[in-house]
Amino acid sequence: MNRDIVEQILQDYEAFRRPDTDPELEAVRAAILIEDVFDVTLSDADIDQALFGDGSVIAALVARLRGVA
Amino acid sequence: MCGVCGIVSYSSPPDLPLLRRMTGRIAHRGPDGNGYYRDRHAALGHTRLAIIDTAGGAQPLCNEDGTMWVTFNGEIFNYVELREELRGRGHTFRTASDTEVIVHAWEQWGEGCFSRFNGQWAIALWDRRAERLVLSRDRLGVRPLFFIRRPAGLLFASEVKSIFADPSVERAFDSAGLDQTFTYWSPVAPRTVFRGIEQLEPGHYAILDRDGFRKAPYWRITFPKRGCEPAQDARENAAALRERIIEATRLRFLRSDVPVGAYLSGGIDSSVTAAVIARYTGVPLHTFSLRFSDSEFDEGQHQKKMSAVLGTQHQDIVVSASDIAAVFPEVIRHAETPIVRAAPAPLLLLSQLVRENGYKVVVTGEGADEVLAGYDLFREARVRLFWSRDPGSVKRTRAAELLYPWMTRSPARIPAFARSFFGRHLDPGDPALSHRPRWDSTSVIKNMLSDGLRDEIGRAHTEDVVARMPPGSKDWDPLSRGQWLEMTTLLAGYILASQGDRMLMANSVEGRFPFLDRDVVDFANALPARHKLLGLEEKYLLKRAFADLIPDDIIHRPKQSYRVPDAASFFAAGRPAWFDKAMSERAVTEAGVFEP
Repeated sequence: MNRDIVEQILQDYEAFRRPDTDPELEAVRAAILIEDVFDVTLSDADIDQALFGDGSVIAALVARLRGVA
Repeated sequence: MCGVCGIVSYSSPPDLPLLRRMTGRIAHRGPDGNGYYRDRHAALGHTRLAIIDTAGGAQPLCNEDGTMWVTFNGEIFNYVELREELRGRGHTFRTASDTEVIVHAWEQWGEGCFSRFNGQWAIALWDRRAERLVLSRDRLGVRPLFFIRRPAGLLFASEVKSIFADPSVERAFDSAGLDQTFTYWSPVAPRTVFRGIEQLEPGHYAILDRDGFRKAPYWRITFPKRGCEPAQDARENAAALRERIIEATRLRFLRSDVPVGAYLSGGIDSSVTAAVIARYTGVPLHTFSLRFSDSEFDEGQHQKKMSAVLGTQHQDIVVSASDIAAVFPEVIRHAETPIVRAAPAPLLLLSQLVRENGYKVVVTGEGADEVLAGYDLFREARVRLFWSRDPGSVKRTRAAELLYPWMTRSPARIPAFARSFFGRHLDPGDPALSHRPRWDSTSVIKNMLSDGLRDEIGRAHTEDVVARMPPGSKDWDPLSRGQWLEMTTLLAGYILASQGDRMLMANSVEGRFPFLDRDVVDFANALPARHKLLGLEEKYLLKRAFADLIPDDIIHRPKQSYRVPDAASFFAAGRPAWFDKAMSERAVTEAGVFEP
């Protein structure tokens, strides 16, 4: 997974999202985006706001789930 | 915008008094005049709402030698370009109307002419020499076209009431049409709710001649395989979308010989079309809005803000629950079909306001929700798909709480409701995953049907619209499959009909829809799904494309669905007498549709 593409998509997403005050819901919102755009399935442990703040972390996560890491 | 009707009869000369009665029943569609044509086997009728070439565009209209006749309801917005092309090929024109372009385009390109048209139409062409009738309807079903086949001919019209001018036409419900209505909110073309009466499918043409009757599509709703969309760059796609919407809106605002107004709902779609008119045409704009006396449904503050930003002359109408109840019988008369919400009623009152202000054309934002993925249904589908990947996950179940952020008391935030409504049929392989909750909840109506009708429906083997999905649709993005279903069912059958054409034409007002422009739709359908629905952000690309023209608080406000006070309109004290009479045990029994 190209980190630039992940960064670009996250940037697009950040520009329009309405932040939720509940961190778990925020993680769910981000997980919906990641699963849809990158066609992966996250585990419950992966659906964690701490994992979604950084493009490089998401790129690594997506690569792992796609079995290319 | 107009009304059309006609008779083809190969066994005897068509009945001219019948044609006059048929035309008279759709006089509201064209109060500016009417016209007739008749020969040995065909008669065409037309009621005219004069918009383009008001002096010279009377119909029915023919070619140079009177062998090809047309009666036409709608607009061909690219008629100026087509006329130039046809002139270059040797055709001569007597009028400045788009109607005459249709006749010559048919002569030049035959069935191929329809894919060249960019517009909204119901067309009937009669080739006197070949004794052939050609019917055609626009790509998405903006304009209605009904017909009934006869052993030696056919009757057609813009509205069913015109066909019912013939007393020999059976007046009976079609049980499969009712079954579809109480599932999809409307019958799906070619079905109607009336036995024997068909509607031409959007994107199709039909031919009747001595060889018989046949139909074919000239355009289909289609999407690329997921991951194979031709353009992936969001910035470039936003610019390209903007260019197409500006052109589509300009065409619909400027190609008219009478003043054109615009609806302003307070949401992003009509804000975009009104803003484009204000920015790119330089013509003063008159906007019209619908408000509600009940603040739960009212968007007045957003409408006023947008009007102030654009500097439009603005008028609104405030509708109450009792207004809806009072006008409802008229709504049904015009809609000619059962409707499962009261939502069309305020739109009838809005078009009345437009007409009272001297306008007969309005540009609206209709179609953006289907084409660019604005509906809550698409967000619900994405949540359900997310949930379906691990139905037991507590975290995934919480996704339902992200729906309906505009609702102060969203039922989706109640876990038990979310599980019962969104958690059923969580099959990720179901091509109709997006629509099952709506269809299920609507189908509850069928529990109230009379035993007789339920038996009839059981025997009718109603077509399942899912079975009509193109074979390649299994490779589309799930959002695209949902869009296909929405465009095939609700858009054509309800939004553009019961809430669109019928409520506008009841007051002789033409609606024009830039988001349903041929080039906008073809471009949008080819976009990656994430450019339409990014995560749960609806109409992402539209917002990005017009961020400079629309105030931030309009762009970023959560989409508020168009809703009206359904229950309060009919069940509050002081409701009109017609309601209790219609709901009485005796009336319900006599109608035979529902159990009293």
